Amino acid sequence: MNLPVNLQNTQAITRRHFFGQAGLGFGSIALQQLLASNGYAAQGKGYRIPAKAKSIIYLHMAGSPSQIDLFENKPALTKFHGKDCPEEYLKGKRFAFIKGTPKMLGPVFDYKQHGQSDQWVSELLPGLSSVIDEVCMIRSVHTEQFNHSPAQLLLHTGNSLLGYPSMGSWVTYGLGSENENLPGFVVLASGGKTPSAGKSLWGSGFLPTLYQGVQCRTDGGDPILYLSDPKGLGRKARRKTLDAIKDLNEYQHKHIGDPETLTRISQYELAFRMQMSVPEVMDLSKEPDHILKLYGAKPGHVSEAESAADPRRLYKGNDPTFANNCLLARRLVENGVRFVQLYDWGWDHHGSSPGESIDETLPIKCQQIDRAIAGLITDLKQRGLFEQTLIVWGGEFGRTPMMQNNVNSTLKKGFYGRDHHPHAFTMWMAGAGTKPGAYGQTDDIGYYIAENPVGIRDMQATILHQIGLNPHRFSFPYQGLDNRLIGPSEEGKVIKGILS
Amino acid sequence: MNSQFRHQLFAVLGFVLATSSANGMASDISFNRDIRPILSANCFSCHGPDKKARKAKLRLDTREGALWDLGGYRALEPGMPDESELILRIESDDPEEVMPPSDSGHQLTEKDRQVLGQWVKAGGKYETHWSFKQPVKNPLPKTRKKDWPLQPLDHFILSKLESNGMTPSPDLDRNRWIRRVSLDLTGLPPTLEEADAFAADKGGNAHEKVVGRLLDSIAYGEHWARMWLDLARFADTKGYEKDRHRDVWRYRDWVIDAFNRDMPFDQFTIEQLAGDLLPKPTTEQMLATAFHRNTMENDEGGTDNEEFRVAAVKDRVDTTVQVWMGLTMGCAKCHSHKYDPISIEDYYGVYAVFNQTEDADRVVPIMPTPTPEQSGKLKEMESEVSTLKKRLQAKPEGFVAALAEWKDQFEKEPLWQPLRLLEMKSKKKVTLSQSKDGTLSVNAENPDKDTWLLILEIPKGKPLNSIRIDAFPKKAGGKWPDKNVALRELTAEWMKDGELPIELSLKNPRADFSQRGWEVAKAIDGKPKAGWAFSPKASDAHAAVFDFVKPVSGGRLRLTLEQEYGQGLLFETFSLSASSHPTKWLTPELDPMRGMDRLFEKIEFPAARELQAKLNSANQRLSRLRNGISKTPIMRELPPDRHRKNRIHKRGNFLDQGDEVEPGVPELFGKLPIGAKGDRLGVARWLMQPENSLTARVMVNRVWARLFGKGFVETEEDFGSQGLMPSHPELLDWLAIDYRENGWSLKKLLKAIALSRTYRQSSSITPKSLAADPRNHLIGRGPRFRLSAEVVRDQSLTASGLLTRKIGGPSVMPPQPPGVWKSTYSGEKWKTATGPDRYRRALYTYLKRTSPHPAMITFDAGSGEVCQIRRIRTNTPLQALITLNDEAYMEASGALANLMQKSSDNLAQKITFGFRRVLTRPPKPEELKRLIVLYHQLKPEFSNQADFLSSARLDEGDPSLVALASVLLNLDETLMKP
Repeated sequence: MNLPVNLQNTQAITRRHFFGQAGLGFGSIALQQLLASNGYAAQGKGYRIPAKAKSIIYLHMAGSPSQIDLFENKPALTKFHGKDCPEEYLKGKRFAFIKGTPKMLGPVFDYKQHGQSDQWVSELLPGLSSVIDEVCMIRSVHTEQFNHSPAQLLLHTGNSLLGYPSMGSWVTYGLGSENENLPGFVVLASGGKTPSAGKSLWGSGFLPTLYQGVQCRTDGGDPILYLSDPKGLGRKARRKTLDAIKDLNEYQHKHIGDPETLTRISQYELAFRMQMSVPEVMDLSKEPDHILKLYGAKPGHVSEAESAADPRRLYKGNDPTFANNCLLARRLVENGVRFVQLYDWGWDHHGSSPGESIDETLPIKCQQIDRAIAGLITDLKQRGLFEQTLIVWGGEFGRTPMMQNNVNSTLKKGFYGRDHHPHAFTMWMAGAGTKPGAYGQTDDIGYYIAENPVGIRDMQATILHQIGLNPHRFSFPYQGLDNRLIGPSEEGKVIKGILS
Repeated sequence: MNSQFRHQLFAVLGFVLATSSANGMASDISFNRDIRPILSANCFSCHGPDKKARKAKLRLDTREGALWDLGGYRALEPGMPDESELILRIESDDPEEVMPPSDSGHQLTEKDRQVLGQWVKAGGKYETHWSFKQPVKNPLPKTRKKDWPLQPLDHFILSKLESNGMTPSPDLDRNRWIRRVSLDLTGLPPTLEEADAFAADKGGNAHEKVVGRLLDSIAYGEHWARMWLDLARFADTKGYEKDRHRDVWRYRDWVIDAFNRDMPFDQFTIEQLAGDLLPKPTTEQMLATAFHRNTMENDEGGTDNEEFRVAAVKDRVDTTVQVWMGLTMGCAKCHSHKYDPISIEDYYGVYAVFNQTEDADRVVPIMPTPTPEQSGKLKEMESEVSTLKKRLQAKPEGFVAALAEWKDQFEKEPLWQPLRLLEMKSKKKVTLSQSKDGTLSVNAENPDKDTWLLILEIPKGKPLNSIRIDAFPKKAGGKWPDKNVALRELTAEWMKDGELPIELSLKNPRADFSQRGWEVAKAIDGKPKAGWAFSPKASDAHAAVFDFVKPVSGGRLRLTLEQEYGQGLLFETFSLSASSHPTKWLTPELDPMRGMDRLFEKIEFPAARELQAKLNSANQRLSRLRNGISKTPIMRELPPDRHRKNRIHKRGNFLDQGDEVEPGVPELFGKLPIGAKGDRLGVARWLMQPENSLTARVMVNRVWARLFGKGFVETEEDFGSQGLMPSHPELLDWLAIDYRENGWSLKKLLKAIALSRTYRQSSSITPKSLAADPRNHLIGRGPRFRLSAEVVRDQSLTASGLLTRKIGGPSVMPPQPPGVWKSTYSGEKWKTATGPDRYRRALYTYLKRTSPHPAMITFDAGSGEVCQIRRIRTNTPLQALITLNDEAYMEASGALANLMQKSSDNLAQKITFGFRRVLTRPPKPEELKRLIVLYHQLKPEFSNQADFLSSARLDEGDPSLVALASVLLNLDETLMKP
């Protein structure tokens, strides 16, 4: 939970963490840190830098969409289509599922160039194509991990093993929230499942649990767990009980004198206010029709897929769950939420069972997100929020230019699939000082990076940089190391080439 | 920021400034206290123990390094700051020259520079880092106030307070003290009877009696086990994507039991790290090794098992060093430690010790780990079985004679008679020849597949009940390379001269062995898809028996053997025989007559038959019991010939291996004990040696932190040079040595602390004491901090009388909001308990690593993914929402309200009763008045009283009292230790 707390009693904040290095003009540093109403005592001198973004909306397509079929128009690959993959691409490589020599699989859908920047975008994304001149396409991302759970963890927590704070936790730890009545780090999930690495993706790791992401639920129940009063109590009776708690706690404070008691009083009052403010911000029915249409959102819609054992078979192109989440994301950043993390599950298109193919499932998934994303960009622009909101889109890795062959060795309708591909894939950013256009390139068949490689560490460094945190300085001392999101080595660099 | 907060802040600053200036005196500069923290924070990352990262060949973490000749000058010229390069560089105005460099992120303060200068002037002496030196048990310090100390430790606390011009706080009242000590030792509040008995006990040993009772209660082990389970990263699932169930609750129960038996910490350590390496380990000792099987496993499709096996081994190294030594070796897996003298070679030396176990990112090895109750039953049943067996073996009276008589009949009429082959047909023209004893052999041709029609003579005499096929092993180098046989279908017909063949149905197929998926029954199921086959035992002989539905006599028998699978899976040598004896005697044993004695005993001789039936049923019950026993993952060392070679992983990457390393322990901390091997047992013994300066200190510090909110060393996880200095180094050492000398008894340690005057202090804070020591470093006040997630829950269950007192067993699922579990590809579901398991202690709540119970993590409990040395306490509105709205707390409010209702007819008494059940002490008049006002305010305000009662799981009751009970469970004092 990333809301104001009394740091004094947050025991992890030992004196050293609290004051920076003891002895170093700690008085002034502590004062600055504590008096800035939103900033906490993050460690590392000079970790705050001028910010381009006030908020981040991170759209993670869990499972990893195929860059070959969405952004990478590769005529050479089309030429090889159906032929054996050359040995050089297989030697010494580890795959999740590919066995032996697979066949090459050309882009399955048509490409066209769009916008003034002449970017290639697949026919599956007409919405994104229409706003492509706002988008900075990074075509040369690579990662070290080729399985979902570790790759997602690496991307969001900086470590492929469990137990590290997620990006949203880092950001709220460094910057706090702008709205006292809302959590600073909100998570919204769609697609019927949480991502492979589970809630650890928005866990706070070794940071105080205060900074863990708060999952807001859109399935018709409480938007935040335990938010509703017990049935039959009513707001008036709740108020009476809270008044009594407050009076008794104040009495307690008068006699025991522990400042923690005052914090408790304020947290109970905040809880009471959240019971109003959270449902309010989560209520899409207040949005006018033209805005709902812009996103393709439907207030109150609870999709069947959201509670299915295997949601993939129930996916429909017009499912508004993701669109609703995009609209919520806008409402949240508009209300000062620092980090909004969307996860959409169902992008793992191996082609080995129904509901997970490139040729049949990918178009449905694209339909679910395309209009919503274009709507989000357009809406943020028209509200003047685009310049202060960083949008990041992508999966945890890419997909192979070869078809996956462990189930079918020949192409069969409904079973076009690609395996995990860590060596080159596409992500994009938009807003908050990112430069529209394309960055980086892959080789002729989209297997390796040909120009301007961008590592996961670079992505993380750039995101922190845009939100006003020096990725190299911003750290938290734990287990004898000044831990950083970008890890202990110096490989992570801000991608200057994508910043305007 | 509220004004209180600001006030407090200035108070903190004042305190720190005051102590810092006191430390700034040149006369008593201590390297460990004053100098090392500056050097460690600002210099060691480039001029420290890590050779690879070292710049300008300068090393400042040792005096030798600081005195190196750097080409006519030295970093340290003892006594001469103006000649010391270290001082010149930190004082330099030149941006190119100044140290630390401006782009390093490090910066010295004016005071740092002064202190460093004074230190050099005073000779630039180095000291071994405090925690790497042996602890010393100094005599108790003298104090001015003589009547205050009750325990030796009080002398240390008081002396430090006095030297800082402070006085300890007054004693707590008895109600608050018994609540504090009960929560600390057992995690449960006292009952009113216990509190009242204590309040009335005027004896001199009243406190001691309470502590003794608490330490002897089973709840003690449950509460302190939780502390250990955080370190052991205990959870009920494996982690990562699939995050499937893992049966490891028996380990949790082992920990509870070990604490309750006050197992000495050295034994506790050795059994968990190396129980399997002890001579003839008991089941319990094997179970203890599950400590290190709590590492995560990745079941995600396509993952490299070796990658996650290696990650688990590294986790074991890191966890061991963290838990026992309070050091972090984690960074040394990629490069030598930048702050502490632990090299990458040291790391992989310890890695080599742990890298010799069998487990490999899979559940195995596991072993049955019965509960004590199951063990008892197991013994009982095993002895019942063996008694029955013995009685059977002894043979009942008349058995021998009866057996001989019975067996006579087989002389006259053998059990099986071979069937004579009269004629055969083969699609592929195979022919068979028959030897005298009836064996059939393939003469020529070796087709891939074939179907044979065999016409056999039915011997005269009694009707035939059954037929039997004996398949003999195919000869090596024989007709078919594949030694397996696949009899896909067998059909039988009865032929009488001049009549059409009549199909004979077969039943009760049985064989000595069948291939998986090719069970003998499939040979007569009418479907050619599968039949009877022998892999992986194709090179042995096999037999099958089939009964005729209707016995036949006279005429001929026509058998069709469909062997059309392909790959030459045909009979090569076999025989066919028939029997007219009762089918119950006809088993598919390879030697048909063997076992006839047993058979007679089992089913023919009445006295034996009865015993046999008893034995069968006992055996069945035994195997049911055995199946119900939890199988726990354990550690098992590889045999020496399968030991892994160990190499350094460059930059921590297991695919990029460097020089070979031998198993060993970090150089800095001495050698393995004499006679110990470089294995886990050796490491466990090394950890517990008196020469190891850290183990006892780390454990004592941890126990202190659980009771006082923070340890003497606040960075419990880091006793190295980056960690904080201890607040009371002499006391820490004294307690550490005392702990060891007391046979590593945790109960004795806890008793000493709980009975101390220090622990008895009131936690009230005055503006003066807040200003003097805002964070209570000097412990001039009692500890006051929020209860743990588990205790918050258990307290409400106890106060409301709902708590189910059951020790151990599989983890349980109390209510949790719907839809919380939504893991990828896992069909496992949260099944909310409706019976007593709904109200078990939080320790038993099922912990799924990727989706822990939300009420637990919101109160700062961990997910069990990695070793958690201490929990970071927070105070958030989400916590308020849980204790106000969660079903569990509503139920507790309902149950508490019912108890209050029954306690009296008088409202004030009802409220007092409830108040005391939660807080032990009675309410002050003002408090009682406020609660009575609340009670009367509530009634008109409910939106629906019946609904409200049902959300507290009540059919009837007083809704105002329920809401009032909920207020009691939400008071600051309730959530805090008094």
